[in-house]
Amino acid sequence: MSLEAPHEDPLARTDDRESLESILGDHAIGWEEHVNAQGVVIRPDEVQSSLRALRDEGGFDHLSSVTAQEYADRYESIYHLSKYDDRTQEVSVVVPTAKEEPVSQSADAVYRTADWHEREAYDLVGIEYEDHPDLRRILLPETWQGHPLGLDYDQDKPQLVSLSEHANPIAEHHHDEEGETMFLNIGPHHPATHGVLHLKTVLDGETVVDVDPDIGYLHRCEEQMCQQGTYRHQIMPYPDRWDYVSAGLLNEWSYARAIEDMADIEVPEYAQVVRTMGAELCRIAAHLISIGAFALDVVGDFTVTFQYAWQDREDVLNILEDLTGQRMMFNYFRLGGVVWDLPEPREDFFESIRTFLDSFEGSVDEYHDLLTNNEIFQRRCIGTGHLDAETAKSYGCTGPVARGSGIDYDLRRDDPYGYYEELDWDVAVQDEGDNYARMLVRMQELEESAKIVDQCVDILEDWDEDDREIQSNVPRTLKPDADAEVYRAVEGAKGELGIYIRSDGSDKPARFKIRSPCFSNLQVLGEAANGEYVADLIATLGSIDVILGEVDR
Amino acid sequence: MVPQTVATAMPLPDAISDLFGLGDLGLIGQAITAFVAAFLIANVLLVMAAFAGPWGKRKIFADFSDRYAITEHGPWGLFIIPAAAIQLMSKELIVPKGVDRPAWDIAPIIMVFSAIFGFAVIPMGSGIHLADPEVGLLFAFAIASLSTLGMMIAGYASDNKFALMGGLRATAQNIAYEIPLIVTGASVILYTGSLQMSEIVAVQAETLVQLGPISIPAWFAFVNPFAFVLFLAAGMAEVGRNPFDVPEAPTEIVAGYQTEYSSIYFVLVYLSEFLHIFLAGAIMATLFLGGPAGPGPAALGIVWFLAKVVAFFLLTQWFRTAMPRVRIDQLIEIGWKGLLVLSFANLLLTAGIVGVFFA
Repeated sequence: MSLEAPHEDPLARTDDRESLESILGDHAIGWEEHVNAQGVVIRPDEVQSSLRALRDEGGFDHLSSVTAQEYADRYESIYHLSKYDDRTQEVSVVVPTAKEEPVSQSADAVYRTADWHEREAYDLVGIEYEDHPDLRRILLPETWQGHPLGLDYDQDKPQLVSLSEHANPIAEHHHDEEGETMFLNIGPHHPATHGVLHLKTVLDGETVVDVDPDIGYLHRCEEQMCQQGTYRHQIMPYPDRWDYVSAGLLNEWSYARAIEDMADIEVPEYAQVVRTMGAELCRIAAHLISIGAFALDVVGDFTVTFQYAWQDREDVLNILEDLTGQRMMFNYFRLGGVVWDLPEPREDFFESIRTFLDSFEGSVDEYHDLLTNNEIFQRRCIGTGHLDAETAKSYGCTGPVARGSGIDYDLRRDDPYGYYEELDWDVAVQDEGDNYARMLVRMQELEESAKIVDQCVDILEDWDEDDREIQSNVPRTLKPDADAEVYRAVEGAKGELGIYIRSDGSDKPARFKIRSPCFSNLQVLGEAANGEYVADLIATLGSIDVILGEVDR
Repeated sequence: MVPQTVATAMPLPDAISDLFGLGDLGLIGQAITAFVAAFLIANVLLVMAAFAGPWGKRKIFADFSDRYAITEHGPWGLFIIPAAAIQLMSKELIVPKGVDRPAWDIAPIIMVFSAIFGFAVIPMGSGIHLADPEVGLLFAFAIASLSTLGMMIAGYASDNKFALMGGLRATAQNIAYEIPLIVTGASVILYTGSLQMSEIVAVQAETLVQLGPISIPAWFAFVNPFAFVLFLAAGMAEVGRNPFDVPEAPTEIVAGYQTEYSSIYFVLVYLSEFLHIFLAGAIMATLFLGGPAGPGPAALGIVWFLAKVVAFFLLTQWFRTAMPRVRIDQLIEIGWKGLLVLSFANLLLTAGIVGVFFA
């Protein structure tokens, strides 16, 4: 490939060591082999120039995640880069910093999404980022002492947290100007925040001047808990509790995929079909909640759309309950497959899915009638909460938020896993980037997911009775190779749900990092909502569709 | 018409006076009968609100959304009404630290007062009509718009930013929609030639067209449907229901001006909302749907009247379940640029209709 203009052809591979060497030149001071990608080590004071080279020359326009961790002798930040146009090209940029002075350059100037990710790394691990615009704690209270994922942190020591009154952060900027601003706490308890989210909002009349999401109210130390569980059985229940609004199987798949890649576990084809069907049912349920909750935001608290969506979701949950034994916390996936086969009698189970799918077509039409075809709804949503593709990419947006901004990016197709490649379905993309486009994407995805489920049912019905292998052989105690590192993502309900695992040779992960799609998507709220009416801020928050359990983890 | 100094007829108090022979007691007798009559009418309204609030609204919403609601409280769940009343009244009244008393206490009272007082001039049929002043329609409009004052005070006195925004929104909304409402109401006066409620009803009781055995009454809604639609839209905004429920806008500004009201004050605020829906329905029925006149025998006037009021209430609930809410700027735009212009056009149109067909 030519180095002069490599980004003109985004599909040209630049993720092998040779091209990386030519892009980075002297920046690269070492090389590592990660399971998913080539790892390159750079100096902590050359982060910006290295990442800028990778972005502009290598075409790595997607900073998927930032993982921070502490070793016995050093701190390390890992920037997991990828490409929106070709998700299979990945590179892990490893930035070690000294133990005594863990200071590293911030990547915020290159990728806006690094802002929150680095704040989280600072908060939980304790690495400090130079040039960071706003290096505060993000998940823990501002007065918290110590960094909980650091090695010398005393987890048993109780801490008292004091809270101070919130102040208008831009009050002085508006002094003596004709308009006066008002600081407004929207949340943490508010009818529209979809969980415990706190929006520090500054209003000028009804117009939003500044909005700063304050998260962490639902932080449950999920990463820490996963680090304390064994790979084989003890981690799988946790993913259900991230995006807890029905996306359980999608979340479980993210962990399953990461560890299966890392430990080289095969998954039988039959199990992959079952997984695909279950996951898409979860996606339908999750999107139904998203659409119903958005209707609450735009219509008001007595909308029937919410009730209809909730009812359809009940039908999906009934099917999932038959399949997994649970309605929300499924714990159905196992390493190398699923825990048990489809419920007997199989005919009845397939029948129940088909009955649902038949009625579901009418339901989607009804949602279109009630929402997207309604003129008032269109006046409220078209052109509001606008997010252009470049901003969305810089903030690492994925899922329906990215696809609503015209970014044709879906891991199910771009980085295939499961059984998706064999099936006939489309990625829903809308170019407009407004609230309406994001809603349309979800509506289309409902239909596409229904299509996938339908095909899976056909395949499972005809599956040879003697060849229904639901799990491959996995060692009772799984111990991946020491120092193996993997970062793998799947298309969750809200976007790219990635898991980073580093093994230390024991049966528990040494570092377990969750890249939550909602976390990255929520970051973009200010970009989309500033300058709009407060009503549109609420609508935009609804259309970005965050689940705080996944944001805060 | 020459204005009379004391033209105020009081049909219901007079009837009570005749019934008990209180006519001889002079002013005291008048006061007693007026009080008894007002008490009766207020109680009819409170009973209606009791049915509509804790019970009807839930049942209606459940029906719209394919659910059951209130299945455990007596026949058809009706016992939820006393249960809710006891529950709401026995709750603690939380008075936030910074509220501006007594303004904060007065606001809910103004809201309820304005709604109930408006019914004083509404002819409900079957002789139930408290007072029938010459300026009846004007009185009803004036009293009904007092509730805006209550909302404004509530928003300001609550010392809550959401309440403040709700109060400001309510004020802006009511100013924007009061004018089209009254201008459209004025077009009725062109037709009836009187502000007196009984006269307005009487004119509409006449026959407009005779289609074989069916006689279509001269309801103003039939004479000028355009005016009716305008009035309906503006009325929907006046009572603050979807798609115009921005002053409360749950999920945006929590509950607007009523955010800080709990317990019995909440009951008052809530009650005033329902009474205002009824009042808007009553004014609409009187001006456009013949009030108690028809469609059946005049003796059952109260039945026809209440049916029309309840129909309007059901309409608000239907809109509430299905209609998205407009944004505040869109709301103001619709009011000033849309309805105001149309309402003046309607005035001309009505003048034309009345001039040509009813001169």
